[in-house]
Amino acid sequence: MNGTGKGATLYKILTKQKALIAILVMLIGMLFSHSNFYSAFNLLQMLSSTSILLILAFGVTLTIIAGGCDLSIGGIMVVAGIVSIKLMNAGMPMGLAIFFAVLFGTVVGFVNGFLAVHQKTEPFIITLGIGLLLTGVAQQLTNAHPVPAQNPNFMMIGNGYFHGVPNLVIIMLVLFALTYWLMRYTEFGRNLYAIGGDYEVARYSGIDVITTKWLAFVISGTMAALAGVLLSSELNTGSAVYGETTALVVNCGVVVGGTSFAGGIGGIPQSALGLLVFGLLSNSMNMLNISSYFQIMLQGAVIVAIIWMDSYAQKRRREAV
Amino acid sequence: MTAQGTNSAIRVGASILRDYLVLVMIAALVALTALIEPKFLSPENLTNIMFQFGPLMMVALGTTFVIIGGFIDLSIAGTINLVAVVTISLIQPMGQVPALLTGLAIGTVCGALNSVLILSSGALTQAEALFMTFGLSTVYSAIALLYSHGSTMHFWDITASKSVFQAIGSGSLGFLSWSFVIFLISLAALWVFQEMTAEGRAVRLTGGNKTAARLAGVRISRSIVVIYAIGGFMAALGAIVLFSRVTTASPVIGVGYETNAILAVVVGGTTLKGGKGSVLRTVMGVLLVVLMSNCLNLLGVSTYLQVVAEGAILTFAIWLDNRKHM
Repeated sequence: MNGTGKGATLYKILTKQKALIAILVMLIGMLFSHSNFYSAFNLLQMLSSTSILLILAFGVTLTIIAGGCDLSIGGIMVVAGIVSIKLMNAGMPMGLAIFFAVLFGTVVGFVNGFLAVHQKTEPFIITLGIGLLLTGVAQQLTNAHPVPAQNPNFMMIGNGYFHGVPNLVIIMLVLFALTYWLMRYTEFGRNLYAIGGDYEVARYSGIDVITTKWLAFVISGTMAALAGVLLSSELNTGSAVYGETTALVVNCGVVVGGTSFAGGIGGIPQSALGLLVFGLLSNSMNMLNISSYFQIMLQGAVIVAIIWMDSYAQKRRREAV
Repeated sequence: MTAQGTNSAIRVGASILRDYLVLVMIAALVALTALIEPKFLSPENLTNIMFQFGPLMMVALGTTFVIIGGFIDLSIAGTINLVAVVTISLIQPMGQVPALLTGLAIGTVCGALNSVLILSSGALTQAEALFMTFGLSTVYSAIALLYSHGSTMHFWDITASKSVFQAIGSGSLGFLSWSFVIFLISLAALWVFQEMTAEGRAVRLTGGNKTAARLAGVRISRSIVVIYAIGGFMAALGAIVLFSRVTTASPVIGVGYETNAILAVVVGGTTLKGGKGSVLRTVMGVLLVVLMSNCLNLLGVSTYLQVVAEGAILTFAIWLDNRKHM
């Protein structure tokens, strides 16, 4: 492996920093387009519209680093959004309604953790099942019609500005700092990396593997519910139609950033970059007036390409050992 | 001695119950519904069920081998969308039989493309296959949307003869619907493949333990191509049966079929761990899923709550499957 020189180094950079490279390529490409892409307004708008996906990704990153993944976040997101609006429309104060909606996510995360960690089922398929179940719950709650919020203050959370910066961006940055600190500077974060790296070794080293990994699912569920509340505030409605592909897109975005399904590798900043690829992609395609069907196709192709590269890098690592 | 005897008898009983829990559940469901709603056992309703379960059955039969081989396929939804839209649009210019064959060929190619990507990247885990096939499903669906300009195509737009498709959709051979005959033929073919061919055994070995299979001389890569190609072919067959029955093809006609197929296969008792399972089990699983939705319809439960029930049963079946292997 050491004789290949420059080619190998280049290959390493390409696979490790694929998200950064993709972002740079898009930024340079947009220089040549005659659009308003490079306006402060558009860039801030893009960041704001990606914020909810980013918040989902921060939670999911924890589960993927621990060697799992969470495909129920789409379902949690829509149900939590609907619950918050329904409770408020029924006369509950805004703060309390949001609290219960987020608590719902915590409970689902707890159930996910019980099934995937304590009962050792395959996390991706069991969370897919829970996600399907929650989609049904969302449709039943809304009768498949959007539910508008009646409290005008609620709308301000997702659409307001604080000193010229969208609230969503500020909330996203706070959660970014929080999860970054959690993963980088706490024992809990280090243990998650250890568990994802080698579950058995972590167990024999005296880490309480089950509780730690379980907690990752609880945090992921809670963050997804929070994202759901923010989404319904931004749209001022609760609806069951959003979030059909959100879970898979967010999980792929996390992998795009460099957090691998093999577990133990990656981090919150990487996930942020990975999701920005998708945000930037859809924003620049909108700017270039590309039809939405083409956008769907490109998104699918990007997912295939990225997962292919992740698998290929894992294969190289296996063969190098 | 006697205590030991009863103990082992209990253990055997428990394992049979676990193995055939699905059958027990079907029997309980049928008995309960027949008791509450006598209409359930009427000839009209039974004919209705016979026409209804075709598409899901085809799709699930194809998925069975993918799961036995230790992988998973979410691209089915996209394949169904694409095949339905393309096939119905080709009836007019190409004629019925060429359109049908083209549809089946497209499905097979779509399926095989999954395996090409999986093999070239060296992906080994179900999770990798899950995301890759999901990406492809998105691509296929987008192609279907672009091809049809997002609109639904109807049978009544076609002036040429479409007798073959009408027969598949609503025709009968004696007291059996044509779609049921197609199901019987494909079940027989797949069962022979599973039980009597070397390739069928190779698929099972691949799903059981890839390294051991390779060392035993099994060509894993060929098995993987075969299972995904069968999955794509059966999805195409399901798509054709589906649009022939509903007489329209929309570019989103296949949404949900991929999870329902996995649900039916797992409920039938084919393990997600790979290596074990059978198309006959899948038939039971599909029967349970279709009977459940029919019963819930008769009992007046909303379609949304049916989705909840499907999700709950899927989760429960996976949990149970996992318990067996602990």
